[in-house]
Amino acid sequence: MQTITRRRALGLGASAVLVLTVADVTGALATPAETDAEIAKFTGGKTPVQGKIAIDLPEIAENGNTVPLSIVVDHPMTEQSYISDILVVADGNPRPGVAAFHLTPASGKATAATRIRLQTTQNIIVVAKTNSGQLFTDRKQVKVTIGGCGG
Amino acid sequence: MKRLVTVASLGAALAVAAIALQPARAPAQAKKKEAPLALEGPAAQSPWTRYSGWPKRDMSKFNTLANLASPPAPKEPRKIAGPITGDAAAGEKLVADRSRGGSCLACHVMGPAGKADLPGNVGPDLSEIGNAGREDEWLFNYVYDARVYNPETVMPPWGSHGLFNDAEINDIVAFLKTLKTPAKFRAVVDDPAKRPPPVEDRDNLDDLVNPGMWSTERAQVLWKTSGPNGASCASCHADAQAFKTWAAGMPKWEPRLDKVLGVEEFVFRHAKATTGASWLMQSEENTALSVYLRFIANGQPIKVDVTSPGAKEAFARGKALTMRKLGQLNFSCLDCHDASRGGQKWIRGQWLGEQRGQYDHFPTWRTSLQAIWDIRKRFQWCQVNIRANELPPDAKEYGDLELYLASVNEGLKLSVPGIRH
Amino acid sequence: MAEKPRLKVPKEAKKGEIIEIKTLLAHPMETGLRKDASGKLIPRKIINKFTCEFNGKPVFSADIEPAVAANPYIQFTAKVEESGTFKFTWTDDDGTVTSVDQQIKVA
Repeated sequence: MQTITRRRALGLGASAVLVLTVADVTGALATPAETDAEIAKFTGGKTPVQGKIAIDLPEIAENGNTVPLSIVVDHPMTEQSYISDILVVADGNPRPGVAAFHLTPASGKATAATRIRLQTTQNIIVVAKTNSGQLFTDRKQVKVTIGGCGG
Repeated sequence: MKRLVTVASLGAALAVAAIALQPARAPAQAKKKEAPLALEGPAAQSPWTRYSGWPKRDMSKFNTLANLASPPAPKEPRKIAGPITGDAAAGEKLVADRSRGGSCLACHVMGPAGKADLPGNVGPDLSEIGNAGREDEWLFNYVYDARVYNPETVMPPWGSHGLFNDAEINDIVAFLKTLKTPAKFRAVVDDPAKRPPPVEDRDNLDDLVNPGMWSTERAQVLWKTSGPNGASCASCHADAQAFKTWAAGMPKWEPRLDKVLGVEEFVFRHAKATTGASWLMQSEENTALSVYLRFIANGQPIKVDVTSPGAKEAFARGKALTMRKLGQLNFSCLDCHDASRGGQKWIRGQWLGEQRGQYDHFPTWRTSLQAIWDIRKRFQWCQVNIRANELPPDAKEYGDLELYLASVNEGLKLSVPGIRH
Repeated sequence: MAEKPRLKVPKEAKKGEIIEIKTLLAHPMETGLRKDASGKLIPRKIINKFTCEFNGKPVFSADIEPAVAANPYIQFTAKVEESGTFKFTWTDDDGTVTSVDQQIKVA
């Protein structure tokens, strides 16, 4: 019964803020400088090599509330050489950060997947780092659709 | 179960007569017992108040599914003296202003307007309308109320329904006259002619994909929870699996109430009459049970009774309601959901599905709202969105409409809870 | 009190096999940037950290921002060399840690 009570609270919360979807957040979007700074924190200012990363995202998202994202980095996962960190940033949200994944040789494969929020049409930028500090990057644009009747 | 009763209803009387001659059979088994229902009072919050967070505007000046109020269409075009000298730049903003009922770009490609960002294609591409040699008066009246030229149009009467005033329409006309070259799209998907229709391929029955599935777990707890009368669902229905086909035969005409009952209203009235629980429509408990009862019947083809006398009339009323023009935007259900009109086309970046395919997955999880919606709430939202007042979820008109919609979806297999944007 | 985490982890695997792990915790992931109906900011409350260990050793973790969707879903892989226990944890902004264990038999 406790579970049900809590679910009800969540349900009411959802309807109370019904029209306040991600599109209604306050404040400005992240600037390109903020996005670059977020990446620089991760890379230590080094320029990543383009490629080696497969980003699976829909080309067009019917809404930006829950967009499936899957990343695979083409790199071995051995004790000697492995992908240790994967950074995901988005350049059209209020803040650039999305997630940072930390992997180990026990991960077996350099992959991670999640579901993300996109306030508007924007680029998702992925940077991967190896245990020896090599950097790879790639990006993909997602078009977030616009509804018809205007609410 | 109900489906069999329906199909066999003509033969049933004969069968009952035949069985009555066999003393070994209990008569109660030969004739299906009517489910107890609370027949008094509403099945939803009353008086109905709109969900918090929904637009508060009152559209009682316009038609609803229960009431005719919209002003009549003008018989003559308005006379416009002299050329229209509006502000084309202001007009360009207005045609892409989503707060005006979605505005023009919802249905038309219009050259550079709104940066050609995901325009719709219910209406013609207007990017070269400035070359068409249309009179200013014609352009003005087409925006003001297109019904004077085409009574069958799906275009909203922007002027006569008060969405734009005369000065704004003058600005829009001034902008239309500047449109002389095809739209340039920044991305292929911006072009509605090339945009691929959305495909829903998520596994809606996976609880890590669809949070709607969690209601089925809650429902199983509720099933065994005693109500005020000391009984639970399980007291009479020990095995919920006995309802393997029931929901596929809903909604159903209910003579005792003189209306069509969907699963949700049935759950309220039946629980009220038996366990005493008061699970009003749109409550968490009602939705959970309604999802669960359909979930149990997943895979069963939808087959509703539209032939018994009451059902036949309800079906006819429901069908007529799909053609009624509603709200400030003056859309009927068919205007948007029939392929001969707006169906299978785009309003901005939103795909308008046909009626068939709009029922088998309800209640459905809406990822945009993080909530599960039954079909009645979907009806309500459609109406509020086209700027009409909604009805309470237990309105008789919604029953009629739901019966018609279920019938249009006959043969599609239930797959509940669905997941949609 | 808290919703139980949802997991998809194989119960059995072969030695050296790379298995797929899917996890989800019911949580609104309130961004701290939205306003309620009265115009007041709704305070931020998210799951900010997820970890997975196997037999006490780290396998995978994630630092999570408000741009991860409600009911945070994390999918990744693990290479299993022996039977043992996965431990998954989710850390809320309010300090609450939800954790769950899951056994796997490796032949």
